[in-house]
Amino acid sequence: MTVLSPAREQAAAESVLRRRRRPFAPYLLLLPTVAILLLALGYPLVWQFWTSTQKFGLAQQFGRPPQFVGMANYVQLFADPQTWAVVGRSIAFCLINAAITVVLGVLVALLMNAIGTISRLVLQVAMLLAWAMPVIASMTVWIWLFDWHRGVANWLLTAAGLDFTNHNWLEQPLSFYFVATVIVVWMSVPFVAFSVYAGLTQISEEVMEAAALDGASPRQRFFAIILPMVRPVLMIVTLLQVIWDLRVFAQIKMLQDAGAPTASTDLLGTYIYRLGVGASDFGMASALSIFVLVLTVALSLFYVLHLMKEDS
Amino acid sequence: MRTQRRRFRPGRLAASLIAILVAAAWAFPVYWMLNSSLLPNTVLTSTTPRFWPWGGSLDNFAAVFAEGSFWPALGMSVAITLTTVVFCLLFAFLAALAISRFRFRGRASFVLAVLFIQMLPAEGLFIAQYKLMSSLSLLNTVTGVSILYVAAVVPFTIWMLRGFVAGVPIELEEAAMVDGLSRTQAFFRITFPLLAPGLVASGVYAFLQAWNEFTVALVILQKEEYRTLPLWLRGFVQASASRATDWGQVMAASTLVAVPVIIFFMIVQGRLTSGLVAGAVKG
Amino acid sequence: MKKMLSVVALATASALALGGCSSSAASSPTATDSASAAPQNITLWLAGGDTPDALREYLKTTYNAKTGGTLTIEEQSWGDLVTKLTTALPDPNNTPDVVEVGNTQSPTFTNVGAFADISDMYSELGGDKLLPSFVEVGKVDGKNYTLPYYFGSRYMFYRKDIWKAAGVEVPTTLDQFNAAVKTIAEKNPKNIKDFSGFFLGGQDWRNGISWIFANGGDLAKVDGGTWTSTLSDPNSVKGLTQLQDLYKSASHAPKTMTDQSVYLYLNDSDVLASGDTKTKTSLAAATVMAPGWAHWSIGDLVKKDGKEVRQWNDKTFGVFALPGNDGKPAPVFAGGSNIGISAASKNQAGARELMKIIFSAEYQQMLGKNGLGPANSDYVSSLGDDEFAKALIESASNSKLTPAAPGWATVEASGKLEEFFQKIAEGGDVATLAKQYDDILTPMLNGK
Repeated sequence: MTVLSPAREQAAAESVLRRRRRPFAPYLLLLPTVAILLLALGYPLVWQFWTSTQKFGLAQQFGRPPQFVGMANYVQLFADPQTWAVVGRSIAFCLINAAITVVLGVLVALLMNAIGTISRLVLQVAMLLAWAMPVIASMTVWIWLFDWHRGVANWLLTAAGLDFTNHNWLEQPLSFYFVATVIVVWMSVPFVAFSVYAGLTQISEEVMEAAALDGASPRQRFFAIILPMVRPVLMIVTLLQVIWDLRVFAQIKMLQDAGAPTASTDLLGTYIYRLGVGASDFGMASALSIFVLVLTVALSLFYVLHLMKEDS
Repeated sequence: MRTQRRRFRPGRLAASLIAILVAAAWAFPVYWMLNSSLLPNTVLTSTTPRFWPWGGSLDNFAAVFAEGSFWPALGMSVAITLTTVVFCLLFAFLAALAISRFRFRGRASFVLAVLFIQMLPAEGLFIAQYKLMSSLSLLNTVTGVSILYVAAVVPFTIWMLRGFVAGVPIELEEAAMVDGLSRTQAFFRITFPLLAPGLVASGVYAFLQAWNEFTVALVILQKEEYRTLPLWLRGFVQASASRATDWGQVMAASTLVAVPVIIFFMIVQGRLTSGLVAGAVKG
Repeated sequence: MKKMLSVVALATASALALGGCSSSAASSPTATDSASAAPQNITLWLAGGDTPDALREYLKTTYNAKTGGTLTIEEQSWGDLVTKLTTALPDPNNTPDVVEVGNTQSPTFTNVGAFADISDMYSELGGDKLLPSFVEVGKVDGKNYTLPYYFGSRYMFYRKDIWKAAGVEVPTTLDQFNAAVKTIAEKNPKNIKDFSGFFLGGQDWRNGISWIFANGGDLAKVDGGTWTSTLSDPNSVKGLTQLQDLYKSASHAPKTMTDQSVYLYLNDSDVLASGDTKTKTSLAAATVMAPGWAHWSIGDLVKKDGKEVRQWNDKTFGVFALPGNDGKPAPVFAGGSNIGISAASKNQAGARELMKIIFSAEYQQMLGKNGLGPANSDYVSSLGDDEFAKALIESASNSKLTPAAPGWATVEASGKLEEFFQKIAEGGDVATLAKQYDDILTPMLNGK
């Protein structure tokens, strides 16, 4: 984008050379991160792999020696049709939620960029309030809003002339997921909006003005200038949404606790919890966790390859 | 510049209107929390929603404070959150610099490893985390929880910052060096300001993750006097098997938990937009 | 209400504490001997806020007076108890010494050896006087690991005005009850949409199992150490069929509802809240089944010290124990807790001292005075003789617990019972469903 003078080109070449001469520098920079990741996640990761090959229940946690069962946990997991039902639902839920969240988030970010300071601050504060609300509090409020007997949603719809008195939103899986989607999207959009907005601020106004003067339509400007500039941020934000939405836990768990058919609303997060904390079958829970890890890698492979290619 | 603004004014007005509507929609549940925190429990359970806190009082807040453990929990949460944010940003910043400004052996594997680490579901990890911290004698400590939090947030932050570092053309820095600045000077004068919005965005993220985290804290902080705010808040929801939850108090407690986040954001929000100013350097 | 209770409790506690200290010090010289070596500082985990502050203070001061050690009490919330027990109990350096667990959680932890064997103290702590069904869930291979801490049990809360308007009487048999609540739902005297004669959530198996029990059925039986789910037993099916009929014609509760906060639907909330009696009320049922402590949340809305609170009103509200068809109360699900000593604890002597204090006459009576059913039947009279105490004692006299199977926690966690009852409520074929879920539950019960 910037046209380089010969002198600058030379400096660039020199600095590349200098970098080559100090090969230890990047390792030094990575050291703290690697150290803390090894410390905090190394053991749990190994433990999880190891446990997934054992018969490991509460008795083993209380000192009985675990028994090596090889792949038996995985075999049992994959033989259970319930696993595949949960996987299918989770993937669908994840993709739909991630897509809605990212689209809305980008729109809100563009909105933030397009408006004056005061209205932007109002929008940012509202977004942040939603983001800052403790999960326990926001779930409680959302469950109230959709309560069958005294929820505001039913009250408003009834007031609008539709008879929604005593309508139970959580009874049917589809309507359960509708409520869950509203909540998850509401919670996630602020993060996407803030990140993309931060990315947008990196685009210099002059470039935009020049493009506008050259007669580029807003649409053209979005696809030709804005999108390429925020792409690194957008890619990673999308990837993270996919990762998070695939194993969404707290929201589903609390909605289920409010009264829903559990078996037909379980997603991967709650299913791991049910196997682990609930049934104390830590071997199976670990096997499922490892499977979710693999599944996430598979789902994001396209992205990851893309990111890597872009990177090199 | 001026002519342009004038030309776009109707569109801008419409955009502002939409922004206010979106803001209202997003803030409604927050308003509902605030509204409920001012109303007595008996009103909250009625079928006709009360949209305004008329006839409300600060009783719920008084009761929450009277319970006594808010301040210690706040102290615990602030200590853990600030430790997490500072170390997370520092570590991630260094690592992001390494992977976006250097080519070295093992770089690709590091990048991949960091990416995949965050894909491991946390729901099954609690036993291992407990054993780890117990063997390090770090149960019931700020350090123990912070280590787990930094590790949980740092991979994401690296990716986020990498995006921002990549967004700053290296040529800018090098141009500055040609103009006589040292490498470090060039970095802090040119690149760093451009990264500020990214640092703030990831900082807010790290702050919120640590502030609202619940599962790890539950397992590592088993003693009552070391409770963080989310654990404290949960105590109100599940106070007793034999008595009804006082939802008015839960909402008052929730409001108190959210307030420090708002304050934190107010302090840093200016930096979110400073990129606009910094962007001018680029041309 | 809460505040008032704790004032009362404090008064009783301080009165009792004086007597308690001296009498226990005098009566148990052996105890002081065993603990005299070195005072042990111990930790007690209580679940939820159900044990009032005054009782906690009593435990601390008494423990200190008896042993010279310090007792630390930590409250764990019910929802997180299993997670915390799973991690901390096996860890000798961090385990609490004495632990309260939910009665249905007890078999799971006793079966894996989480608790110390206290069979030798059994008679000293109350022996046969202790609530048998609770003692049973704390037992493995004839040895005692956990003992009852307190009990509650479920009985009926009803609206006298609506029952009267529908022309039905308080029932004396289960059949009468079933008929009465159907009549109320049919007549719907207050003309409220979706009005329930008896409000029973579709997933509410904890209340629903009373009908299985009352017809002579059970959830599971054990034979030679192997557990079998018995939902398809003819008596169980009979109870489930009655239940399905109630779901169809007496209850309009959501099919996905559990036993949470059912008392809300017995109050008519809006009348005072809006100052306008013409608005809708939240009233949705003439009868609910709930643990005795629900009466703190049921009543008229009144202003007290400027606050709106619930106040029980004898004219509108009443209670009765669910009757069986055999002249006895129907067997209902017994709620409550067990208590035991962590096997990993390094302070066994101190922990045993604390157990003695908990099972002492003074402390048992303090529990009763606070509305918690004392473990030792000698002190049940301390619950008092108001209508709640009467209904509690009556319903508890024949109450039952969930099976003491090693895999019971797995069954509860799987959500299969909720699923099964919901399908019953939705009108599925009882016999087929019962057979189907027996096949699912039997392997779970045996911890497979």
